[in-house]
Amino acid sequence: MRKIKKQKIYLLALLLPFIMFVIGFEIGPLVAMIKNSFYADDGIQVAIDQYITIFKSEFYLQAIQNSLVISLFSAVTSVIIAVIAAYSITKFSQKIQNRLLMIANMTSNFEGIPLSFSFIILLGNNGLFTLLFSKIGGDVFADFNLYSWTGLILVYIYFQIPLAIMLIYPSYQGIKKQWKEASSLLGGSTLSFWLHIGIPVLLPSIVGTFSILFANSMGAYATAYALVGSNYNLLSLQIASLVASDVALKPQLGSAMGVLLAATMIGAMWFNERMMRRIRRDLR
Amino acid sequence: MSYVTINQVTKGYENQVVLNDISLTLKKGEFATLLGQSGCGKSTLLRSIAGLEGVDVGRILIDGHDITNLSPRQREVGMVFQSYALFPNMTVFDNIAYGLKMKKVKNVKSKVKNMIDMVDLIGKEESFPHQLSGGQQQRVALARALVMEPKVLLLDEPLSALDAKIRKSLQKELKRIQKELDITTIFVTHDQEEAMTMSDRIFVMNKGKVVQSGSPSEIYTSPVNTFVAKFIGNYNVCNMEVFHKLVRSTELKGNEVAIRPEVLQLVSVGEDSLDIQENWGIKGFIKDVSMTGNVLRYEVETEESAFLVDYLHHRGEMFEQGARVQILVPKKECIIL
Ligand SMILES: Nc1ncnc2c1ncn2[C@@H]1O[C@H](COP(=O)(O)OP(=O)(O)OP(=O)(O)O)[C@@H](O)[C@H]1O
Ligand SMILES: [Mg+2]
Repeated sequence: MRKIKKQKIYLLALLLPFIMFVIGFEIGPLVAMIKNSFYADDGIQVAIDQYITIFKSEFYLQAIQNSLVISLFSAVTSVIIAVIAAYSITKFSQKIQNRLLMIANMTSNFEGIPLSFSFIILLGNNGLFTLLFSKIGGDVFADFNLYSWTGLILVYIYFQIPLAIMLIYPSYQGIKKQWKEASSLLGGSTLSFWLHIGIPVLLPSIVGTFSILFANSMGAYATAYALVGSNYNLLSLQIASLVASDVALKPQLGSAMGVLLAATMIGAMWFNERMMRRIRRDLR
Repeated sequence: MSYVTINQVTKGYENQVVLNDISLTLKKGEFATLLGQSGCGKSTLLRSIAGLEGVDVGRILIDGHDITNLSPRQREVGMVFQSYALFPNMTVFDNIAYGLKMKKVKNVKSKVKNMIDMVDLIGKEESFPHQLSGGQQQRVALARALVMEPKVLLLDEPLSALDAKIRKSLQKELKRIQKELDITTIFVTHDQEEAMTMSDRIFVMNKGKVVQSGSPSEIYTSPVNTFVAKFIGNYNVCNMEVFHKLVRSTELKGNEVAIRPEVLQLVSVGEDSLDIQENWGIKGFIKDVSMTGNVLRYEVETEESAFLVDYLHHRGEMFEQGARVQILVPKKECIIL
């Protein structure tokens, strides 16, 4: 009995660096952020001024709305593409599957400034493809502006897809071939199999992936910053300019916006989870 | 009048022939079993009938219709898989109702209720597969196939994942339901005892061929070759030359002789009650005794080969290991292969 306890303490001790890391870099800042958000600009008076400021400012509400829209749109699009892409990957031989996953894995880490820069080089005003196509004559990119809403969404979707594929692919292994066979023997078509069995079985992973993608793009900062600078009104860009700009620092307001950012993510996760339980009653 | 006809079906994977010119016929309402060792092609044959695999050569007919090139959903066959393959996101009721809904049949509710009643799962309608025991899951799988009123029911080792007791009771139940619905059934197993107790007809398969077919007792009492003899009845199979030497007689002719273990008798050496008209005698000693339920199995070593001898287990009558004995071999029980 004592021996086991000793062993447990030993194991806990090994966990200590990790716990300290989590406290120091995750829980600590989170608590500080929440606390900060309830102070007035002077940092002394406790108040909910910051939240009032945000909800009274059309500009900040616009930022929240923009972030929500771009995150929802890019997450939904990426999940749909990834569900189809991951399924196609499962149809290749094991060797090719591994290679494709490796590529997905690599590209899923490709974001932030390097990604934006690559897009600028390829599709910017003087980008390779932009110039190439205008020389050839087929003006495919004539109406396309990388530094716009469309451009931003394109880049967001681009960096979300590989991550989504990586997250959804494993759950296809959980779909048994015999379910398909049983369904077809019972008179079901391929479509009805996916509608009634395949997609519902994948649903937890689709929903989980959606939550991650949503949070990922809500919080994405460097990619957007490099591409549109502060020309575009996004929540993450506003927070950055409030806590790190060279004009006017307002850390308390930034914190309050950070809290709202976190709240939307948690809200999205809660909503997703609820929706999923309604469809997958067996998981209750 | 045959209801199911399989005509010279051949199928291979890559460079390996899995089904080699298989022909067989079944009557309506018959319970047929494909029996054979692992890898002999039983599942492949079943899956070919279901349309889950195509065949290279040959035809498959059900009720007079050539179904060789139909898709699984057009064939009107039901199948139960070894792993049940229930849809995990659906309740028992929805699993059973799935096929009816796909075919847009009327009275789904009452049909499913009847089926649930038949497989004895009342009260479990709203349970999900993961909340059921293995035996219950298998009943759901059976109900899901039967509710479609298929022309042929295919069962691929449906009971092999269950423990012995549940297996026995499900065997009985399966047989009862099959008789009640009078449904033509093809059952796959590699358990010869299961095949014997359940089947009207057994097809013994070996290496992609049907080597013998017949009623359980035909197969058991007159195996056509060494493979069947060894596989079905644990027959003692002995080379004829060796046998001549052992019994000091060349009365029998042929390649090999097969003798069932339970027709042999043992007597102690010395108390010779050998009836030379009816029996041969072979001297040996008890090498091993083992017990399988109510049967005592002796392994008797003779000067040339070992024989298995089965006895019903009676109190106090037992030969010790190492005892010198004489095996009585009834002449009329020797089967020449
Ligand atoms: N998809 C496949 N590709 C290649 N070979 C296969 C495939 N399916 C089966 N085989 C081969 O065909 C042979 C017969 O397989 P099958 O599954 O029919 O055997 P079985 O009699 O059902 O055996 P078991 O009792 O183990 O289930 C085996 O040698 C197997 O390796
Ligand atoms: Mg098999």
